[in-house]
Amino acid sequence: MVLLQVIINGLLLGGFYALIGIGFSLVWGVTNIINLAHGAIALLGAYLTYYLFVSIQLDPFLSIPLSFVSIFLFGYMLQRFVMNLVVKAQIFILLILTFGLEIFLVNFMTTFFSADFRSVTPSYAGESLVIGEIVIPYIRLAVFFVCVIFAIAMGLFLDKTWTGKAIKATSLDIEAAMMSGINPAKIYAITFGLGSAIAGVSGTLLTLTQAFSPSIAGGLTLRAFIVSILGGLGRIEGALLGGLILGVVETLSSYLIGESYKNAIAFGLMVLVLVLKPSGLMGRKYYAEVKH
Amino acid sequence: MALLDIKELSTGYGDLQILRNINIEIEKGEIVALLGSNGAGKTTLMRTIVGLNRIWKGDVFMDGQRLTNASSTKIVSSGVSIVPEGRRLFAGMTVTENLEMGAYCNRKNIKEKIERIFDFMPRLRERKNHLAGDLSGGEQQMCAIGRALMNEPKILLIDEFSLGLAPTIVDSLVEIVHRINQEGVSVFIVEQDVQLVLDMSVRAYVMEIGEITLSGASKDLMNDPKVKEAYLGM
Repeated sequence: MVLLQVIINGLLLGGFYALIGIGFSLVWGVTNIINLAHGAIALLGAYLTYYLFVSIQLDPFLSIPLSFVSIFLFGYMLQRFVMNLVVKAQIFILLILTFGLEIFLVNFMTTFFSADFRSVTPSYAGESLVIGEIVIPYIRLAVFFVCVIFAIAMGLFLDKTWTGKAIKATSLDIEAAMMSGINPAKIYAITFGLGSAIAGVSGTLLTLTQAFSPSIAGGLTLRAFIVSILGGLGRIEGALLGGLILGVVETLSSYLIGESYKNAIAFGLMVLVLVLKPSGLMGRKYYAEVKH
Repeated sequence: MALLDIKELSTGYGDLQILRNINIEIEKGEIVALLGSNGAGKTTLMRTIVGLNRIWKGDVFMDGQRLTNASSTKIVSSGVSIVPEGRRLFAGMTVTENLEMGAYCNRKNIKEKIERIFDFMPRLRERKNHLAGDLSGGEQQMCAIGRALMNEPKILLIDEFSLGLAPTIVDSLVEIVHRINQEGVSVFIVEQDVQLVLDMSVRAYVMEIGEITLSGASKDLMNDPKVKEAYLGM
């Protein structure tokens, strides 16, 4: 019974990992940018939610749209006016750029929002769904569903809209996309904006389930990285599966082996997937082939 | 003024100049060929017209509209479509999705346009739900032509028309190009098989190391001693 509880906890955590991974995987798959600042951008959403909660008591779930829109604009501008200037450079330059951005954002947040751990506790935080011996906090369940809804919406957006299809086309062959009249600079900016916006939303949801400070940015980026590799780049269903697996593996290994081993096991799993199926568990043919 | 008017165009990669003072005019409804050996700069010219290379000097006009270093959206919207070297289909998308992407700048009547292309090239209808990357070479070339037509272009650029295709497939593609042309679409075509392309076209330009060295009616070029010697092996 305890094991079942652990697995359910893992799945609920996995929903959050999936969401943070989707944005990372989308940006990587389409623009070839491994965005080391992804976790820090997610925390911008978390702090936005936190300050809206403490200043005007805005419910965190209601700040999701605000988080999405404002962090989208931040990501869009960042790509349009900074990243696009160097996007054709070698991958090393892009890594340094996003790493620099990470350092900047983390220090910015430490200076202005302090290094203290924060969390948001709305009035309904303690309520749980109890089935037999299984206890599921309503908040975690709601967070999980919001994550899944966002994942499905993203998938539909990519498959059904012109902009979504243009994003896919650009990721497959940027020159062929240009020859169809697509403006890749704009598509890159939209992609980075969307990736950031989803990170911002996952930051908002993070405030509800755990305490956060600027120092956890790197840990979030690492998890997004593992999720992307597990699922396969640029694939929403892949990130969803990768997130759930990572969540379950982390909680199970904490429970069975010990908390301190969970990172080692998560990375071991990533290496295993890279060795056995380098395109990820759900990697699709022709997508995310090596471009550098 | 000609439909596509290239004036004194120069371009290159990095510091290396590839094209020097290219002048080409293509009228409405013409099929024009571009000949030249490997490395002459034919593909570079095609890429430059559709905006993949920056123009250093000179101008490109389409229907009187200046397209020099314009955005790809503007160039495609002005009625220029390309069937690029190596087809460059979106390999991970289906045939239908590839055709749809061709209509990115011209989204009217997409269903009807796709049906017309399937009527044109029934082979594509059979394969419509297959990934473009899984098609055979000839089918890929058909899909690339179909994708370009979805834009309802005024001029169709075709780079390396028959490269790597079986002769029977080339024959049916030639037929398709003639039918497209009969609907009033101009065609500017790069092809290694000089005999074939001179038969298809009304006029031709010969390019050597980045310059146009000869031009004229295709039937005259076919009898030109220089062309005979350099390209027809006679």
